[in-house]
Amino acid sequence: MTDSDLDRVYTALCQTLTTEGEAQAPLYLARLALLFITELDDAQRALSLIEAARLPASVAPPIAA
Amino acid sequence: MPPSFKPYPFTPRHYEGVVPPLVDGRDPVRRPVAIVGGGPVGMTLALALARQGVRSVLIEADDSVCTGSRAICISRRSLEILKRLGAVQGFLDKGLPWTGGRSFYRDTEVFRFSMHQDDEQSLPPMINIAQYQIEQFLLDELERHAELIEIRWQTRVTGIEQSAASNAGGGATLDLQTGDTAWHMEADWVVACDGGRSTIREALGLKLTGTTYEGRYVIVDIELDSDRATERLAYFDPPSNPGSTVLVHRQPDNVWRIDYQLRDDEDPQTAVEPENVMPRVQSVLDSIGETGAWSPIWITVYKANALTLERYRHGAVLFAGDAAHLVPIFGVRGANSGIDDADNLGWKLGCVVNDIASPDLLDTYSDERVFAARENLSYGMKSTEFMAPPTFAFELMRSAVLGLAEHHPGVRPLINPRQTHPIAYADSPLNRVAAKPTGSSTAPDAVDPFTRGPAPGSVLPECRLERLCDGSEEAIHLTDLIAPCFTALRFGVDASQDTAWQRMWDDLASRAIPFRVVTVVATRTEARADSAIAIDHTGRLHEALGATRGTVYLIRPDGHVLARWRKGSAAAVQRALTATLTMQHTETLS
Repeated sequence: MTDSDLDRVYTALCQTLTTEGEAQAPLYLARLALLFITELDDAQRALSLIEAARLPASVAPPIAA
Repeated sequence: MPPSFKPYPFTPRHYEGVVPPLVDGRDPVRRPVAIVGGGPVGMTLALALARQGVRSVLIEADDSVCTGSRAICISRRSLEILKRLGAVQGFLDKGLPWTGGRSFYRDTEVFRFSMHQDDEQSLPPMINIAQYQIEQFLLDELERHAELIEIRWQTRVTGIEQSAASNAGGGATLDLQTGDTAWHMEADWVVACDGGRSTIREALGLKLTGTTYEGRYVIVDIELDSDRATERLAYFDPPSNPGSTVLVHRQPDNVWRIDYQLRDDEDPQTAVEPENVMPRVQSVLDSIGETGAWSPIWITVYKANALTLERYRHGAVLFAGDAAHLVPIFGVRGANSGIDDADNLGWKLGCVVNDIASPDLLDTYSDERVFAARENLSYGMKSTEFMAPPTFAFELMRSAVLGLAEHHPGVRPLINPRQTHPIAYADSPLNRVAAKPTGSSTAPDAVDPFTRGPAPGSVLPECRLERLCDGSEEAIHLTDLIAPCFTALRFGVDASQDTAWQRMWDDLASRAIPFRVVTVVATRTEARADSAIAIDHTGRLHEALGATRGTVYLIRPDGHVLARWRKGSAAAVQRALTATLTMQHTETLS
């Protein structure tokens, strides 16, 4: 993926997330994560990315539950 | 204690508003070109026209160059243009060159970028310089061409009327106001370089369309004595200004530019009150370790726009710079794209006024620069979406990017500020006209046969070269060889030894078509002491352009490639030039 591909995908995700709305955002991102996991088809890799995405303890979650 | 403001370290000259002798309230002298607006774009255009020997009048509402620092970043492409127009030296002497920058998230550096820089370059990728200096250096050059450039200071445009035949060069009448005098001026062509709130655009009832962003930035110039390096510093959610984004840029003469984002719940009017700005700036300076005394110079608030006109030619009226398009501040495409507009329009309008080109050529100004504006807008919008996230989603995703960037290099390109870069006019009608002058798809030069190098519509890369001078080699760059005229860059064969090329040259000269041939040879033994013969001693230009003996690149007066041939001939060059100037490619030309 080139930098401009990454840009394009990132912007599309931001726009779709905007359309879905703030209230639906966690559910939308959860669905997207599941689709990426099944597409990835590699349990070890998926588990390591799940760990990598964890927020540092000092960082408050950006979305209130 | 109220903060004490300091003035900019610059004293502009002031000019009187002088009305020429009038007959019935009208200037009896009809001007070939009237440029409305004496900012960087209007001045660059006046200069580009003067280089084509074309007279212009520059109409400026104010009595001096601008007072604020405003646009502060001038790109390599703009410097190349100014170099070609003979006005770059002041910029290089005064401006602070820089090549990259760093971005921080909270207190961690998460991204570093560098703009293209290598040993071949003659100009820095960017310089920082205040807009009043930009305008002053241009004005100094304009005043050296007073025989061609007339400046009407303190003169406002109040109206414009296009004649019915304006599409065929019937011109327009400008209603002007200088002091108490209302007067009229006629011009064959009017170019609106009168900025974001263009009077001409308003008068013609034209509207900019696109996107307006809500996110606001406070822009502060301060005086601070510091020897910190010149680079772009960006701080996201810094400890000094939690929740905000801060940008820091150094300018010449101990002036520093600090931009910071306002939160959505902050009132912009209150936010620019000095008592609210001072502590924010102080905390930014504290956090980057600047302990010296400082004073505010200028405070304003900025909101990003991404807007353009659909077309930049409306009969005898052309639009350039902010009058034609408003691009976001992020990525520094504002003044730079305006200078590029002026450079593109300068030679085309020059050729039309000099009666060697069809007015249709001016439509390609609109085609190419509207295309460039849309490119600039798309990059500018991406920068803006990162720097001033327009929705919760962009904000949320940005937090994710910044938080991951320290340990996950894959996301770092998303932090790149996407600084301005030269735009290639890949689909310009001029490329087709020049490549296929006979209209036959089977013509041998109908298909671009190159596998490398700048395709038609692109700008030339820079390259180090040599030239023989008094028996020794003089180090030069490719940009030293490109003048504001058509240039045939011919590899390997000295044109002065070639009768077909000599005949073409004589013919173009007799038609007053500005043209020169530059010969590039591979070795010193093939060269003569001639300012138009360059030695590619490293072979890098041959390599970069995919050139071999006999290759010809035909370059436009704005430095873009018009056409290229693996084995070029005088006849092919002449056909391409004639087709470009007449804008005819469907009939066979002699």
